[in-house]
Amino acid sequence: MINASKRAGNGAAVAGGKAYAFRLFVAGNESNSTQARGNLTQLCEEYLKGRYHIDIVDVLKDPAIALKHSVLLTPMLVMLKPRLGVSVLGNLGDTKKVIATLRLIGGER
Amino acid sequence: MSHRNPPAHRMKIRMDEAEALVHALRTHQVDAIVGERHIMVVRLKQAEEQLEHSRDELRALAANLQFLRESERTAIARELHDEFGQTLTSLQLGLSWIAQRVTPQQRSVQAKARSLSTLVTTMVQSVKRIAVELRPGVLDELGLVKTLQSLAREFEGHTGIRCRFETNLGKAKFDRVGSVALFRITQAALTNVARHAQASTATIALMKHGDDLMLSVKDDGKGITKKTIQNHNSLGIIGMRERAIALDGTLTLRGLKGKGTTLTIRIPLIRIL
Repeated sequence: MINASKRAGNGAAVAGGKAYAFRLFVAGNESNSTQARGNLTQLCEEYLKGRYHIDIVDVLKDPAIALKHSVLLTPMLVMLKPRLGVSVLGNLGDTKKVIATLRLIGGER
Repeated sequence: MSHRNPPAHRMKIRMDEAEALVHALRTHQVDAIVGERHIMVVRLKQAEEQLEHSRDELRALAANLQFLRESERTAIARELHDEFGQTLTSLQLGLSWIAQRVTPQQRSVQAKARSLSTLVTTMVQSVKRIAVELRPGVLDELGLVKTLQSLAREFEGHTGIRCRFETNLGKAKFDRVGSVALFRITQAALTNVARHAQASTATIALMKHGDDLMLSVKDDGKGITKKTIQNHNSLGIIGMRERAIALDGTLTLRGLKGKGTTLTIRIPLIRIL
């Protein structure tokens, strides 16, 4: 179901902030999907170091899970924790927008 | 009422999602569309870039080919005029010399020499005509306006189709590449009039229009059809369009059934001055 996963630190919440979990739906190594992977990792390392978890789902290998989560376009980032249901479509290149949508800075950091 | 309309905050979320979707599509950030039965991988940006790149390459190639063709035409015209033309002239003089020197008993030789001399005269005229068609000397010497005037006269003489030339340019001088392109476009357009239009009159107009130069060739023939305009095998039209595009210009063709056809080329003046 989940083709790749990345866990930073111990995978659980660490002192100083909440734990975050994301699921990123990609289409193999297509351009935007590759960019989205890189941009997400960079953001997480910068803002959530040691307290994030990313599941990568390749829809080319597993379309069923995409449909199950109503993901019809890729790349699509879905937040699983701390707020379920927040999603961002695209290559996550617009850092400010992604940070604002995921609320990575501010109250929840 | 309220159960039919979703609450305002729900509408807002839906709008946000729609906006995000439109933005992602417009900025080519979507890689795949997941469907019930298949996944469609979309490579819009990549495909568009490749297509534009291929178009640019083709245009550059076409422009280069046109340039090479014109260079070759010029070289062949020069060779024809200088080498072949002069040799024929010498031959003609030689035959006249022979015709003058034969004795009265050699009348058959004299007749043959005169007949050959006439043949050579025809050949000299043919060589000149071919050389002019390959590279009209008047284009280099007198410029585009006079050349188009001359082309209109020749066209009328060859085809019997009345041909007028109009201009508001006076003694404007255009660069060599631009002049050759406009001349060739006019030549091709007139060829189409003669071959396909069934027209009785044609008008060539070369006009300054604001910052653009407009060349139009209009006839009163049967009118080109949309099918012919869009036909990818219409090499004449494609060639004219490519010449116009190479000068950052446009080509439009309009046909009215039974009323005639108008071809219009619009080129920024700055590109050909």
